[in-house]
Amino acid sequence: MADSYFPEEKMDLSLTPEQEMLKTAVRSFVQQEYPKETLLQIASPTEPTPEEPWEQLINTGWLGILIPTEYGGEGGSFTDAGVLFEELGRGPVPGPHISSAVLAALTLLEGGTEDQKLEWLPRMATGEVRMVAAITEEDFGWLESDVHLTAEQTGGRLTINGNKSYVFDGETATHLLCAVRSADSNDVGLVIVPADGVGITIRHLPGFAWNQSAIEMVDVAADSINIIGESFAGGWAALERAELKTIPVLCAYQVGGSQAVYELSVDYSRTRHQFGTPIGRFQRVQDQVINLLNALDAARWTAYEALWKLDIGRDSVDSVHLAKTVASEGYYEACNFAHEVHAGVGSMTEYGLTLHTAASRTLYNYLGDPKFHRRRLADALGL
Amino acid sequence: MDFEPQYTPEQEEFRQEVKAWMKENMPPGIVHPADPIDLTEEQYQLRREFGRRLGAKGWLWSTSATEYGGGGLDVDHAIVLEEEAEAAGLTIPPFYDSGGRLGGASIVVWGTEEQKKFFLPPIFTGEVRTWQLLSEPEAGSDLANVKSTAVKDGDDYIINGQKVYVGSSLGCDYMWTLTVTDTEAKRHENLGWFMIDATLPGITVQPMDLLISGGESGAGSGVKNTVFFDNVRVPAFNLIGGHNQGWKVATTHLELEHGTGGRISRNPVVDRLFDYCRTTNRRGQPVSKDEDAREKLIDVHIEQEIVRLFQLRNYWMRHSGISTTYEGPQASYMRKTLGLKMSRHILDILGPASLTFDPELGASEGHMEAHSRAGIVAIHPGGTTDIQKVIMSRRIGIGREVREQAGALG
Repeated sequence: MADSYFPEEKMDLSLTPEQEMLKTAVRSFVQQEYPKETLLQIASPTEPTPEEPWEQLINTGWLGILIPTEYGGEGGSFTDAGVLFEELGRGPVPGPHISSAVLAALTLLEGGTEDQKLEWLPRMATGEVRMVAAITEEDFGWLESDVHLTAEQTGGRLTINGNKSYVFDGETATHLLCAVRSADSNDVGLVIVPADGVGITIRHLPGFAWNQSAIEMVDVAADSINIIGESFAGGWAALERAELKTIPVLCAYQVGGSQAVYELSVDYSRTRHQFGTPIGRFQRVQDQVINLLNALDAARWTAYEALWKLDIGRDSVDSVHLAKTVASEGYYEACNFAHEVHAGVGSMTEYGLTLHTAASRTLYNYLGDPKFHRRRLADALGL
Repeated sequence: MDFEPQYTPEQEEFRQEVKAWMKENMPPGIVHPADPIDLTEEQYQLRREFGRRLGAKGWLWSTSATEYGGGGLDVDHAIVLEEEAEAAGLTIPPFYDSGGRLGGASIVVWGTEEQKKFFLPPIFTGEVRTWQLLSEPEAGSDLANVKSTAVKDGDDYIINGQKVYVGSSLGCDYMWTLTVTDTEAKRHENLGWFMIDATLPGITVQPMDLLISGGESGAGSGVKNTVFFDNVRVPAFNLIGGHNQGWKVATTHLELEHGTGGRISRNPVVDRLFDYCRTTNRRGQPVSKDEDAREKLIDVHIEQEIVRLFQLRNYWMRHSGISTTYEGPQASYMRKTLGLKMSRHILDILGPASLTFDPELGASEGHMEAHSRAGIVAIHPGGTTDIQKVIMSRRIGIGREVREQAGALG
């Protein structure tokens, strides 16, 4: 190939040297602070959750990657955040991170007043505040019409009544960013409520659900200065804009999880012997691994293209819906294929695959399931 | 990361040059039949003429070396050229040709200097069209099992045998092929790779009757042929890569044919399907407003996007000199499975209108009917979907003891 006489600005799908460094740093951090044993301990319903790894994660400052420097964050790009969360997804390192330092922080940036940004974002960047978005309710959905939690305003005071259901990372929150419906105007807005407030009950959802809670709110008092943008009107729109920016980062996390189960499956198909040969020699087993790899790569490139579009300010709506559809289905399928490869061994908790299997199910729904995003994608394409 | 070529002012300037040149040099009257079998001799000659003009300008094989008649340009130029050709409904080259992308690439990697100087310039300037002759009745997925023979006789080889699924309609100037050069030697060490003058005595071309032989934007083959070699005398000079070295030469074009070259253009059938559904009313509303149709169209869109991104990734890797492992066959696998799935979706969305090119009751000037057949046929050229998975498995290190390397691309 001849030398270019257009030396700059080539199509380039590689990470920058800084992003490569970040990737390496996060990967070794996860290996050191969140080894499988620690992740299993955190996931165990009976063992106490160790505090140390989370403290270490906070100390890296990474969680503020998308918070601008003027609010105490790192001011990174969306692709930077993708690199970080892909590596955390390999764990999978549990939150609250995407739910707080990404979704809640971006919502504040989209809809908050300057005072609100100054008050909350620096503390979110340091991990002192873990503000988790509480959006969905019994009917489970990400539409404005699904919100029934009610706020009554009397002067500067709010009284909130109702329930939030299937709240991702709800239990670990210090604050809840609640989608609420105004009893006066019927507008759906967002209010910050301390998670330990009187009248709030947070219940862990048992079973296959991954870090999901039910939240009951009975006559919970809140301050109207904590309404995002100081008005219910416009709050939901700010949340939707923030969701569209959060989703590709979440997709990168799902990519990281898929990558991890792919590597487990390749390794296992090379080392596990049956009928006197590594099982990877069997084409039926190869099919599972190849299908897994296709799902992984599809998720990877749709996610990173969406992140790139966010970074350059290109209209990214269709790419975001595409990415979430592909990453949610991809991570889900990747885990299934991995279970096919691993058979009984994969279902043993101590092996670690099921950490991903559980994560893949909950993240399938989080911020909208594939059916939801397929419909939005059709709208975006003008069908 | 950067998912698209950023057009520099110089590139935009180049684009203007290309646009103006194409306006001047594209022969008028080029049309695009839905089934390339309908490509007339006259239409073919218009495309060849356009190809020669592109070749003279260095734009037919724009990234190939100038010393062999290529354009010596970089990927940024190639992208602009492909985009401008696509805007005119054409590909580059604008006709079916296995010469530059596959055969030529093998000669670049494995030919001697003398061979490169002799064979490459006519290909890169569009003076000749070449066909690839690989499959045989007993050698499909197992290409190394070819039975045709080339026996050394003085300064020549005498070739005998039969090749199938070859070429296109309307003939060619050169054929390149793989034959047994040593019946005693081990598999993969017994083959020769030849560039053959198609006018030599003893070569017979007989069209096959197939469901369809598709292709895009007029670069489709239309017809596949059986080619018989009956004591065809070929000079030893035409043997590329050396005696019994043919498999090595073949790995280069097989790698490219398996999708490692990547591409940047869209699948025009997808665009046609979407256009049709947006603009055609059924029961008082556009087809695209029907809930079932929408679901299927979104399915097609999603998979098309995945294929596009895989091909883009491969294109970037190829042109950045990053070595690939499984990526080529992966893109091929995904593209082929999408094509087949799409023919099902077209059947679901359009019903019987997808099965006829009747001007009144067919759809999209016959393009949907053509895809209904092409989606099936396209799963095998360059290796079946199953073969792509086999190659991927070897390349990721699970299919064999030793991880397989990709073919050399030069």
